[in-house]
Amino acid sequence: MMSRDRELHVDVDDFALEKPVRLLKTLMYYPLALLLLAVTAQASVLTLKSPRFVVSDSTGNQLRAEPTASPVKLGARESLKITFQVVDKEDEKGVQPHQTFIRFYDESTGEEGIQPVRVTPGGKAKFDLNLSKPPLYLPPTSDKPLKVSLIIGTPNYDPISAQLFDLVLPWSQPAPVHPDEAVFHPRPELQHTFRPEQKVPNKFISLVFSGIAIAPWFVLLGLWSQVAPRATGLFSPSILPFIASLGAFEVLLFTYWVKLRLGDVLLYGGILGVVTVFTGRRALSSIAAKRTQ
Amino acid sequence: MFSLRRWCLLALSLAGVLVDAKSSTGDSVLVVVDPAQQDNYSIFFNGLKDQGYELTFRSPKVEKPVIIEDNVSNFAHVILLAPEAKNLGKDITPQSIVELLSLKTNVVVALPTKQSPLHALAAEFSLILPPPGSPLISYSPKRDTPSTLIPISVEDHSSPVLTKHIRPVWFSGIPQALGNNPLLIPILRAPAESFASEVTVTSGSAEALVDAAEKGGEGLWAGSSLSAVTGFQATNGARITFVGGAEVFSDELAQKEAEQYVQSGNIDFVKEVAAWTFQENLVLRIEKVEHHLVNGTEPKETYTINDNVEFSAYISKWNPAKGEWQPYSGLKDLQLEFTMLDPFVRTALPPVNGAPGKYSTAFRAPDRHGVFKFVINHKRKGWSFLESSTTVPVVPPRHDGYPRFLSAAWPYYAGAISTSVAFFLFSTIWLAGEARDSKKGKAAKSE
Repeated sequence: MMSRDRELHVDVDDFALEKPVRLLKTLMYYPLALLLLAVTAQASVLTLKSPRFVVSDSTGNQLRAEPTASPVKLGARESLKITFQVVDKEDEKGVQPHQTFIRFYDESTGEEGIQPVRVTPGGKAKFDLNLSKPPLYLPPTSDKPLKVSLIIGTPNYDPISAQLFDLVLPWSQPAPVHPDEAVFHPRPELQHTFRPEQKVPNKFISLVFSGIAIAPWFVLLGLWSQVAPRATGLFSPSILPFIASLGAFEVLLFTYWVKLRLGDVLLYGGILGVVTVFTGRRALSSIAAKRTQ
Repeated sequence: MFSLRRWCLLALSLAGVLVDAKSSTGDSVLVVVDPAQQDNYSIFFNGLKDQGYELTFRSPKVEKPVIIEDNVSNFAHVILLAPEAKNLGKDITPQSIVELLSLKTNVVVALPTKQSPLHALAAEFSLILPPPGSPLISYSPKRDTPSTLIPISVEDHSSPVLTKHIRPVWFSGIPQALGNNPLLIPILRAPAESFASEVTVTSGSAEALVDAAEKGGEGLWAGSSLSAVTGFQATNGARITFVGGAEVFSDELAQKEAEQYVQSGNIDFVKEVAAWTFQENLVLRIEKVEHHLVNGTEPKETYTINDNVEFSAYISKWNPAKGEWQPYSGLKDLQLEFTMLDPFVRTALPPVNGAPGKYSTAFRAPDRHGVFKFVINHKRKGWSFLESSTTVPVVPPRHDGYPRFLSAAWPYYAGAISTSVAFFLFSTIWLAGEARDSKKGKAAKSE
């Protein structure tokens, strides 16, 4: 087989070597065996014999044949095969445990998938994960690695629960979420976009046009400087009250514009109107009298 | 007379329970338990009695006292601790237990391993139970007890229901697989190495497990996604807890050692479960809400668009030790929505420094007029649901509510004021001025 750039290539014949070397290779590649070696004093202990681990692509070529410390990456059409035999440590006889599970656990989300491994009565176990037909027990995956561990339990023997390797699978759909689940967490803040403030034209333009509006006054003032108006009878007691009431009406109008309301202004206007009637009659009759003299 | 063992148990229970903890919804508890088994749970029952609950015991075979009479529940809380009973009485059926919850009565249910009507009840709450006769089994950790009796270690903060540290709990019973319902709150998860299977291991058991898993669907009950004790809080606030087996409450497991020289946490665990289910812990309510303009104090009948409105809510929490509602400022992610069919504004409602229990925020009313609601909808797992909705109309500005004296109107002001002034001046000059001598004019003409 051609060895590619970054994939390790292990000769299959390695596993056909003598028993001690095979055991040594088992110790190197499977930390759980190291664990069992430490507990030699226990009575009923199970161990794994001839574990094999193979990653192959859709055409059957082997891509990787031993797990190392780095995570095992599985592409969309590749498959992972793990085979081993469960034996009693003392007499090397095959044991079919009650529970032989492979557990896939995503630490970041807490999702978990567990699959029992089919073990023959002689203890031979075979596990096959083929990603061209992804099985249902796999938890939802992202780019975070899944921790793969092996759980073996059976009456009268010590249980085994060992981390095997990290597995990186292609992205999957996220776990389905209940539609009400979003209410149980803080939700995104919403702000209302207000209509933009109405734009007011430049004050300078307003000033210019105000100037145009009051320009005739300057003309008037200019003309008056030539021909002054005479207001001789201004302070006679018959005319002044009328002028004052007219002025009061103008003041009322200005005040209405600034702050009053219709009800108030009608009230004040009514009072002022009555007053103006009397002062007006007096003023106009006095002017008329002056004329007819 | 009382045996030595009974005195020891009594002393143990009294020593453990010196805190009086009261429920916020009532103290009457109905316990449905087989009278022969009642003494097995004496530590638990005495603990409840010391906290101030009034326990009424009822045997599964007897039909009195009736729980629901005339659409009113006779008890504030119910404990169903008789998993072996084939039927619990005519008035305890899955439908009647659901009706109890709608009457705001809290329930603790111990699930049986055999087939029973309680399996249908669990299905109502999106819990999927394993087939009858398959309890939870775990071979690890290595221990002397049978594989069905499992010590489960409890991590702090693993569930919001457990408010204090709990030592490892001995569990025996069935696991529950959780459906996709957000109202479910797992309280005690099964360990990762556990699974549900028949107890007697034959040569075909391993094959049966693999076949069950390959069947698909919920074929295999295994791992930490299962829950041993699950709580459920209904939308009206009533709480129901499903416990996988009644042995969790028993005296024997309460006194068993979980680890070397460490007593099991069963007593503390069942106390916490009862405290949560009977509405002692994690119970909140909204006392009142207020709204007003930012610089005002009285609530207005209607608000105008673009008004700055301030909204405050007063929230209290039930303090079980004192038995009263106390203002609570610990909610960090309370949110307020201002909605008309859809939320227009959603802001955080932070607590106010210096005013315990008061949460307040100010925002600008949207541009659109209509009938809006101030909505608080705060749901978190384990805590009571806070819901409040205050309707308030928002109207466009009145005829005199618009901005005035704009700079763009200066020419018009100038013109109008000019007109008034000109009229006044003209009338003054005309009234006060000298009349042209018409006689002179007439005389000139006649001449």
